[in-house]
Amino acid sequence: MSQRVNEINAAIESIPDVEIVKPFEQGNIDIDGCLAVFVEGLEKPLAFNVTIHPQYPFKRHETETIKFSNDDLIEHKHIMQNGVICIHTAHSPILSQKLVYDIESVKAWIRKYYINKDSDSHYEHLIVPQKAFNGNHYVYFFNEVNYRFIKHEYGFVVYSIMNNGVFYKENIQSSIFQAFLNKDWKKIVEVDWNFQLKMLHKNIGLFIFLKEAPSKNQRWVFNDWKDFDILLPQDFLKFLHSVEKRHVKEKGKMLPLFVGYNISETEIYWQSIILEIGNFPIYGEKINKQWLTKIEEERTIDWAMTRNCSYKYFFGRGRLSDRITENKILIIGIGAVGSILAKTLVRCGCRKLGFIEYDVKEPENVCRSEYSFFSGITNKTNDLINELCLISPFFQPINGGYDYSEAFDFFIKSHLANTSIKAEMEKHLEDYDIIIDCSADNDLLYVLSQLKIKSTLLNLSITNHAKQLVCASEKNRYDFITSQFGGNILKFDVDDLHNPTGCWIPTFKASYNDINFLVQAAIKQINTKFEQEKTLRNFVIETDDTNCFNINIKEF
Amino acid sequence: MVTLPLDVYRRLCNFLNIIKMDKNKHLDSVISTHQITKEETLFDKYVKKKNEVKEALEEKYRNNIYSPFNSGSYAKNTAINTKFDFDLVSPFKRNAFGSNGTLKEMYEDVYDFLYEKYREVAEVKKQKVSIGLEFYTDSDGDIIKIDVVPGRELSQDQYKENENLNLYVYYRYGNIDAGSERIKTNVKAQINNIKTRATAEKDSIRKIIRLLKVWKNTKHNYPTKSFFLELITMKAFDNKTITGGIWDKLEAVLEYIRDNVTKDGFTLKDPGNSSNNLADTLTSYEKQQLSNDMKNMLDRIKDNDENLKTYFPENSKFKKEETNNNQYGTNSGMPIPPAKLNFG
Repeated sequence: MSQRVNEINAAIESIPDVEIVKPFEQGNIDIDGCLAVFVEGLEKPLAFNVTIHPQYPFKRHETETIKFSNDDLIEHKHIMQNGVICIHTAHSPILSQKLVYDIESVKAWIRKYYINKDSDSHYEHLIVPQKAFNGNHYVYFFNEVNYRFIKHEYGFVVYSIMNNGVFYKENIQSSIFQAFLNKDWKKIVEVDWNFQLKMLHKNIGLFIFLKEAPSKNQRWVFNDWKDFDILLPQDFLKFLHSVEKRHVKEKGKMLPLFVGYNISETEIYWQSIILEIGNFPIYGEKINKQWLTKIEEERTIDWAMTRNCSYKYFFGRGRLSDRITENKILIIGIGAVGSILAKTLVRCGCRKLGFIEYDVKEPENVCRSEYSFFSGITNKTNDLINELCLISPFFQPINGGYDYSEAFDFFIKSHLANTSIKAEMEKHLEDYDIIIDCSADNDLLYVLSQLKIKSTLLNLSITNHAKQLVCASEKNRYDFITSQFGGNILKFDVDDLHNPTGCWIPTFKASYNDINFLVQAAIKQINTKFEQEKTLRNFVIETDDTNCFNINIKEF
Repeated sequence: MVTLPLDVYRRLCNFLNIIKMDKNKHLDSVISTHQITKEETLFDKYVKKKNEVKEALEEKYRNNIYSPFNSGSYAKNTAINTKFDFDLVSPFKRNAFGSNGTLKEMYEDVYDFLYEKYREVAEVKKQKVSIGLEFYTDSDGDIIKIDVVPGRELSQDQYKENENLNLYVYYRYGNIDAGSERIKTNVKAQINNIKTRATAEKDSIRKIIRLLKVWKNTKHNYPTKSFFLELITMKAFDNKTITGGIWDKLEAVLEYIRDNVTKDGFTLKDPGNSSNNLADTLTSYEKQQLSNDMKNMLDRIKDNDENLKTYFPENSKFKKEETNNNQYGTNSGMPIPPAKLNFG
């Protein structure tokens, strides 16, 4: 017996209330044994088969490398289909210590889910087997819709394929729901996504809303078609038959069927099943001189994957304050600062963004802004809108084309003295809740300072080498910016500007890291103030790399 | 494209840095460029409009109103030319809105009248204790704003004796709830109190009040009323030994506000009614914000004197004339810095 096996047996024997039922032995790869754990409240100890993988006491991809299983416990919470209980325990590089932690977790599981029969406050999704269908995995992304489905409502789902990717070692196709149609092909409700997703090629699937989850124990999804027997109405089975008949020429092609059910009073989840045309799990049977469609009970269900991508889940892990995300935002100037800002806002939950930028993206812009090399030379506005559509399905560009940008610059700068056009411009700008000027155009800064607009108006700009970032948010923003950059307040290098090839205005030197760091700090300051419902004051972010890198935010 | 060469610019910056900014000179220039006499044409427009509104109120309410009067900063000798505070106090008789008429009915009646009369030429807004008239931009690009403050005497004919009035609070006003039936005050006593001290101590109190108003005007909708700044300035002078140049005095007042406004039990007595505490016109949050703003201001000016110009800007409209006359500051005759130094 190896030293490792001896160590395991010895360590477990020393743990109170644990008894080794079958001593641990080295298998081909793993070490296996059986133990019994006693917890106050139990009539007798619970036995578990234990498998210890070679990586133990280290985890593998964030999962424990020790498995405690008991097939008799399968009906309880936090048990996998193979009877393994779910535990997540503390780290320890010492095997004997780790065993103590892990067995303590098993005891905690017994108390919480076996003895007390607790349930968690958050919804646990059904466990769906991840099996490939004809060598391919399929995943469908859905969004909440403004429609209340009724029990047994069925029809068609319009979906679009977004991408073919790789899922570990197999292929996977990702698609999005686009619309729900009733059985007569009449649109019930459109699924909202960004305009580029809405333009994707459309395919047809089927849906039925069951109301109840397709599960016997609210844990695992049905395994066989027979489980659906009493849930699927005859009308729907006939509908399946008619669809298959109509597509008879497409025999062998897959067709997704989406099964909807409530996971709360208002929330619906959709699971997907892959059907194969010509091989639907149904057959006709004449009963009392009437043809009925019946389910082929012994057939296994081919489940595919789904994801709820509605706004609250998509941004569930973190987003900016509602006072930013729920607003309509205009970004003027989408160079390095503006494009980083735009991308951050969209990643952080903002939906409605407009852009003003007359410039064209050149290859040398890519290294420090949010553009990609692949799209070559193109208007920055077009390019950024494409980039942002790839990130967020909820991004809605408002205005932002080249023509709009040119018209904006012309009108706002040429008609400052014309009170009626000025008033029109003010009205137009007030349509945005937040306007962020990242253009570093001092003429525009002046012109905007002459307008009377109720929107929150911010100005972000940086110094050479991104040593400082200045954010002006108050009425005196013109004076503030001109004085900060005037030479007597902020100290920065002016010798070392970057001169692009050709007759261009010199630009600043700074890397993506330099700029992004400052822009993120500025967004953090702005968001903090908004979140705390405090007034945002002008501020300057100063960095100092004399010894170790330091950052200092000075509020004015 | 031609810009000032960078080496020339750098030499210029170095030169400018050698000459330390004179804070007193700058502040004197701020005050002189904000003198109300420099904007006579605009000021006259305000007076004319104020008189029009006054006459309209008198015509509408005839025997039910005493003579409306201006209680704004001009009346108190603390005005600046970038924001004329024209508050037209309208003293109503006790039974002007019926013997059982409420202050709310007074406020609503005046609002309805002003709205009907001016809605096509001005934005008419309900404000904390007043009704704001913001006349649309005229052909010179000027916007005239007059605040009408309706008030009612406490009992029949009492106004003639002591000029006390009850005001109606429409919006939540600091810690004073919306819909509060009354703030009893004597606006004329308020005016006289400030005017007397501002005139007598014109090199200290008046100047500091004007500077604080210039600062307030760099903000959007600052919650602290000018009246609050006037009273707190006077209180600072009463509670601290404040001497030296104008900067020393301003600094001492800013420090006083920073250190005291959030203190428990801090009061600002209304000269029109000693039982009113003007400190209640700000919420705790607003007091904290005021204190923070003072702290930030003092810290930033300590970091760099030049920041003073951000908080207390000269009125650029009259700056050139001034700098030519008295050679103020470091930028007399200096070229403006070149090329872009801010980037996006």
